[in-house]
Amino acid sequence: MAFGKEIGNRLGYLIRRSRFDREFEEEMSFHLQARAEELEQSGMASGEALRQARREFGSTLRSGEETRSAWQLSWLEDFASDLRYAARALRRNPALALAAIGSLALGIGANTTMFSVAKEALFSEPSCRDPQSLAQISTRGNHWVTVAQYRFLADAHVLDGIAGMNHELPVNWRYGNRSFYLAGTHVSDNFFQVVGIPVAMGRPIERGETDAAVVTYGFWRSRLNGDPNVLGRKLVLDDKPYRIVGVLPRDHRMLVGSGLTPDLYLTKEPRGFMLYARMPQGMTRQAAYARLRPICREMDRVYPEENRKWAREVQLSGVGGMDRLREFGGPMAMPALAFFAMLVMVTAIVVLIACANISSLLLARALTRSRELAIRMSLGGSRGRLVRQLLTESLWLALLGTGAGLFINLWLTRLLSGFHIPTPLPIELIVQPDRALLAYSAAIALVVTLATGLVPALKGTRAGIGAALKEDGRQAGPAGSRLRNALVVVQLAVSIVLLSAGLLFVRNLISATSFNAGFDTAHTIVAAVHGESDREKFVDTALARLRALPGIEAASPAIALPLNPFLAFNRPNEQLRPDAGSRAVRVEYNPNSVGPDYFRIMAIPILQGRAFLDSDRAGAPEVVILNQNMARRLFGSTNPVGHILRFPDNHDARVVGVARNSTYATLGEKDAMALYGPFAQLAAHGGACLFVRTNGPPEAMARKVDQTIAELDAKASVQTKVMREVFGFALLPSRAGAAVLGSMALFGLMLASIGLYGVLLYSTQRRIHEIGIRVALGATPGDVLAMVAGQSCRLVAIGMGIGLALALVAVRPLSMFLVPEVRPTDPLNFVAVAGVLALVAGLATIAPTARALRVDPAVALRHE
Amino acid sequence: MESNASPELLPGTLFLLILRTLSRGPLHGYAIVKRIKEASREGLQVEDGSLYPALNRMLVKGWLAAEWGVSENNRKARFYRLTPEGRKQLDKEAGEFDRLVRAIQLVMRTA
Repeated sequence: MAFGKEIGNRLGYLIRRSRFDREFEEEMSFHLQARAEELEQSGMASGEALRQARREFGSTLRSGEETRSAWQLSWLEDFASDLRYAARALRRNPALALAAIGSLALGIGANTTMFSVAKEALFSEPSCRDPQSLAQISTRGNHWVTVAQYRFLADAHVLDGIAGMNHELPVNWRYGNRSFYLAGTHVSDNFFQVVGIPVAMGRPIERGETDAAVVTYGFWRSRLNGDPNVLGRKLVLDDKPYRIVGVLPRDHRMLVGSGLTPDLYLTKEPRGFMLYARMPQGMTRQAAYARLRPICREMDRVYPEENRKWAREVQLSGVGGMDRLREFGGPMAMPALAFFAMLVMVTAIVVLIACANISSLLLARALTRSRELAIRMSLGGSRGRLVRQLLTESLWLALLGTGAGLFINLWLTRLLSGFHIPTPLPIELIVQPDRALLAYSAAIALVVTLATGLVPALKGTRAGIGAALKEDGRQAGPAGSRLRNALVVVQLAVSIVLLSAGLLFVRNLISATSFNAGFDTAHTIVAAVHGESDREKFVDTALARLRALPGIEAASPAIALPLNPFLAFNRPNEQLRPDAGSRAVRVEYNPNSVGPDYFRIMAIPILQGRAFLDSDRAGAPEVVILNQNMARRLFGSTNPVGHILRFPDNHDARVVGVARNSTYATLGEKDAMALYGPFAQLAAHGGACLFVRTNGPPEAMARKVDQTIAELDAKASVQTKVMREVFGFALLPSRAGAAVLGSMALFGLMLASIGLYGVLLYSTQRRIHEIGIRVALGATPGDVLAMVAGQSCRLVAIGMGIGLALALVAVRPLSMFLVPEVRPTDPLNFVAVAGVLALVAGLATIAPTARALRVDPAVALRHE
Repeated sequence: MESNASPELLPGTLFLLILRTLSRGPLHGYAIVKRIKEASREGLQVEDGSLYPALNRMLVKGWLAAEWGVSENNRKARFYRLTPEGRKQLDKEAGEFDRLVRAIQLVMRTA
């Protein structure tokens, strides 16, 4: 209490320093005047009196200095001198300092980058006015309403406005004689007002506008060439002219988060909207619910829905942070969160390994300096003061390491921000340094300081004064070497865990790259078409033209693009009845409608029955093909060909074939079921994918295919890709995981082996005297070898034992990121990891052992 | 003058003297010196040069507070007064000092 007040007083002085000096001068002159007056009264001449008063007072300068020093913070000055002293100590040993700072910087750089990316991807605040009072309206996880329902709610004016948004709709942009596929976000006319999205240029969309568009910075730069006169320009979107009224700032973050960035916002009424409500200033959620409830009851009455009761289920949820993650992420949120948590943890472990290394280096130094420290203590230096001084060295290392790590962070995040993640959705993360990152880094620096410095400082200053002065460096610390050994064991154990995880991801990458997707990716091109005027005609002409091209083996339409994880959100989950009987089986399956040649193009063999035929057209009896999983699920072991399948809407289809299992939405999916129907029997619905099989490498043909399809219909947008590219996206998590974990594991292993090497070398050096005596007494090189190598083997064995036990538990949850072929508990992994580590340990042992063997007894005995 | 020069203050007693002097009301620096001199019948002379460092140390500790005011002959002067903490400190130190002096006297008489 009193101490705190004193500190406060002193800090106050720091601020009022100049006033203090002025006041002190005034006070002095008053004192002198008062004394002089008194002397005058006792009869002294006035000039003489003042001189006398000055003499009596003595030096005002010294008095002022002493007075000022009463206010100054001695520990602040001590700290400054500690910093200078520690900096000198580090400069004297630049190799140690650079190695320590370098390894810290790499670890901290990787760690903070993971932190920044995870924070941006999962928890970033959307660009809008006062996110706290903005809420999303939904009913128990269902966010979508029809436009009529949106109108009904918005027109009730219960809160400060309700706006609608749909970010899942593509828009075709007609430009010249081609159309381009854009990621458009459809919004209600009041959306910008209600949400309060800032624009960089122009103005937001205003109420009552029906043909206004606001483009994002990226679209403006790349597609409109950064045209400064873009405002007022017309864009033909889905055959309708729109006027660009505004351009969004570069760091615009969409309400739905995850780095999703559309090309533009436009006023258009889609089939469905998500609802955002602005709550009046200061209104609590509870009050908002109370206001909403009556209109929700009305809603249930006017728009009755079987699975949805607004009055009971209406929910308001936040638009940022954890709230949004829970709301939106759904099936993706937990794995994403777990993935980032794992990466942050792994990189943190690397930082800790680096700390252990530095700690053991500093410990060695503190022990060799124990004589110096002992002398200083005997001369009256308090132990606390010495501990502080030794810790200052760690503080320097931590600060420099963290600073350099932040530079790595800035560089990496800049790299990542410019990187367009190859997904079917327009995702761009704007990772920027912020206050959270600074706070996080400061916390890391503190942890690093304590982790690297505390043990050496406490151990180094503990040795009794007498003991340390009497003994020489050789025996200075059995306790110290025990500690160093413990540090190495911990490092080894932790790097085994890291290495196991890293190896799993590298194996995952290897097996995912060579992973049999169940279809051919080497000769396939796929073109996604949107917005064609007449699908049937378009597809027929496209197929005819494509087949006429040289080098094209076959072409077929289909609805679904394989390995698109977003398919997983739209899987039907239905009761199907085999043989139209009473037995209903609930199945969640991947639907697709494909042309007759699809199975040939994708090289998916038909195992029973037949593929589709040209005769399976609209009007002909409905037919389906099942994959093996679905056939087994519905029909057991009987051959399903010829059997009837009844759908929930009571239409029937005959099973004509069974296709081999392949992958549909993601590579990692297990026992996925699939049901194919003929493309020609698909009910009217826009858009299609055209699959093309080439004779040669598909890359050479992609351009030709794109042109051929694009020139058919200026209204249709065409995106052509080779299948390998699509496949690349499916591999993205494996690639990212393998890259980060693999490199971190290698880095951790490197650090751990340096630590092991250091410890062995150091302990051999300390025992040179002892080895000399042993050799002089007749020990053979074999004995010495056994002694040194034995020590290293003990350390490695203990570290490995602990590490393997930990790894066995730690890698288990990783299975959710891995293809089924790679099992986390595969003994082979652990054998490989143990082998690598044993090899490294062996190498780290050789040098010290060789040194021990070279010892000449005569030299060793003199060695001091 | 030289012969009856005031004895050196015992270390630590300066704070006590200042606290005691101020316990009867706020005073400026010069008045503190004068008051101590008078009260000790010229037996104690506080060095002008060490008065102000001591006053400031006590300000830092929060025992005293200082304000600008007007002196008896209408000059701007800095007045020091005891804070409640200062009063507590005075009670504590005065008690300790009494015990110390009594103990010293005992030794001086009997030993």
